[in-house]
Amino acid sequence: TAGNNILQLGPCRVSMSMAEIRSGFNSIKANIQARDPIKSLSILSYPHSLHKVKPSERCCITHHLCSFYVAKVFRHCRTEDSYVNRKISSIANSFLSLRRNLQHCHEQNKCMCGQESTEKLKQITVNYEGLNVTSAAIKSLGELGILLDWME
Amino acid sequence: SGELYCSLPNPRNVHFESVNMKNVLRWLPPEGTGAGVFYRVKYSVYGVGKWIRKPECKYINRTWCDLSSETSDYEEQYYASVKAFLNGMCSDWIETTRFNPLTDTTIDPPMVSVSSTEKSISIILTAPEKWKRSPEEESVSLLQVYPGLQYNVSVLNKKTKKRWFFSISNTTMVVPWLEPGTAYCVSAQIRVTTPLLHSQFSKEYCISTLKDKTA
Amino acid sequence: DALLPPPQNISILSTNMKHFLTWSPVIVQGEAVRYSVEFQGEYEREYANESWIPICECSLIAATECNITEDISATVAYKLRVRAEAGAARSEWGTLKGFFNRITTSLTPPLMKVIADGYHLLVELEEMGPAFQFWVLYWKKGQESRMQQKVVKEVSHMIHLDTMEEGLGYCVKAQTYVEAINRSSGFSQTQCVRAQGGTSMWLV
Repeated sequence: TAGNNILQLGPCRVSMSMAEIRSGFNSIKANIQARDPIKSLSILSYPHSLHKVKPSERCCITHHLCSFYVAKVFRHCRTEDSYVNRKISSIANSFLSLRRNLQHCHEQNKCMCGQESTEKLKQITVNYEGLNVTSAAIKSLGELGILLDWME
Repeated sequence: SGELYCSLPNPRNVHFESVNMKNVLRWLPPEGTGAGVFYRVKYSVYGVGKWIRKPECKYINRTWCDLSSETSDYEEQYYASVKAFLNGMCSDWIETTRFNPLTDTTIDPPMVSVSSTEKSISIILTAPEKWKRSPEEESVSLLQVYPGLQYNVSVLNKKTKKRWFFSISNTTMVVPWLEPGTAYCVSAQIRVTTPLLHSQFSKEYCISTLKDKTA
Repeated sequence: DALLPPPQNISILSTNMKHFLTWSPVIVQGEAVRYSVEFQGEYEREYANESWIPICECSLIAATECNITEDISATVAYKLRVRAEAGAARSEWGTLKGFFNRITTSLTPPLMKVIADGYHLLVELEEMGPAFQFWVLYWKKGQESRMQQKVVKEVSHMIHLDTMEEGLGYCVKAQTYVEAINRSSGFSQTQCVRAQGGTSMWLV
């Protein structure tokens, strides 16, 4: 379970300002979700919720989803609203920091990927590539709350 | 049946009002309409997208609809929508923003019970329960929903007007070494750190320490 | 655009997780000079084509200082730049030498007030913002080896530390801790108080 800033992901223990990420997301959540008209598809939760993932595979999925958001999502979310852009930058840089912390666990073999997480990550990529890049990126950013709820 | 013209003004401020995960959809009547307006309600689970009508809120004239049962899985997120009807006319379906029961609910203050001896007061705190369908259903404390739940407790000495604060995780607390025959008022607040949520402070529960028998 | 000299002496003042960019004024006779600030995080360098993000609160400002705290909200290396404008003239960007990472912020010991209220040991601490926790250490006077610690996350009131034994002296000191950068400040001055009752005399 997570303290305000300590994430326990199986054997991997990571210190992270979840409160800052959560606060940044909360301040743009309504704006970003309003830009996503597709209610019948979830990138992170289709076909199964993240909550179905075995605890032993949480670190792997968190690590790969951090990379997914850093490499594929944030860069395609630029908006006409400078406040939103600044908050996205704040979240993106925090995710970079989180991924670096998770990388240490990965290198110490505390972040193993099993079949279940590999399939889940593959499904997320399929869901993402089923939409055009901007729609997929905005939808993924709008679902950050789902990821944070699950991580915490 | 007669053709419905959807030119009626729309319901306003359609939103979820959630307390302890009792999730009620509320709205304001369309601008400029008096009595006689009826409403229909539907909801959908985000990512599934199929709109589901709420039978108990079909052609109602009130401006709320309890969707607690339909939105009780707090690992999901939801939308709801309302349509108004008046004299053969109707409005558009007006949707809420995406609703996340876990982060978008308001938590009630804890229940506080106090007792006293000559020189101490004992405080017992009880976190509110998550909404449940019926009294027979098993109760779920919000403590189980939010494992990081803590309490802030305020103790006011009515004589000196000094207020002390305690932050505790467990639900019982004793404040020893107090002045006999003195009134103390206790109130408490819930704080959750992940996600960041907090209740209001409860009302004050006052009690006096017993008088010093030797005095 | 006619060129102005870029702002010089660009530096960061960062104390207790409040970060300010400062620079020397650009002097143009008879003209009001305005300044604009932009930042670039590690993410922007590595994944967003080295893009820069304007800070709108510091766009075309007259001051030679900008509060960048809100935007420096991750523990990564940031670049910062500022340029001057006067009428139609505009300078090149002046860029902060090197990077700024909030992990280098200077942390000062917290202001603290210790109170004995009867047999109760209480402490008041200054409000320093959501990033701060306080580690409060307290002990019976003369028994430094048996120190106790309390972590305080909310300080807007008088915090109850412990109950005291009749007539004994108790001492308290505190430091701040910032979880986001995993660093703490030095300790505050030690303050000692005495519980009510008892006859023993002691000196602070």
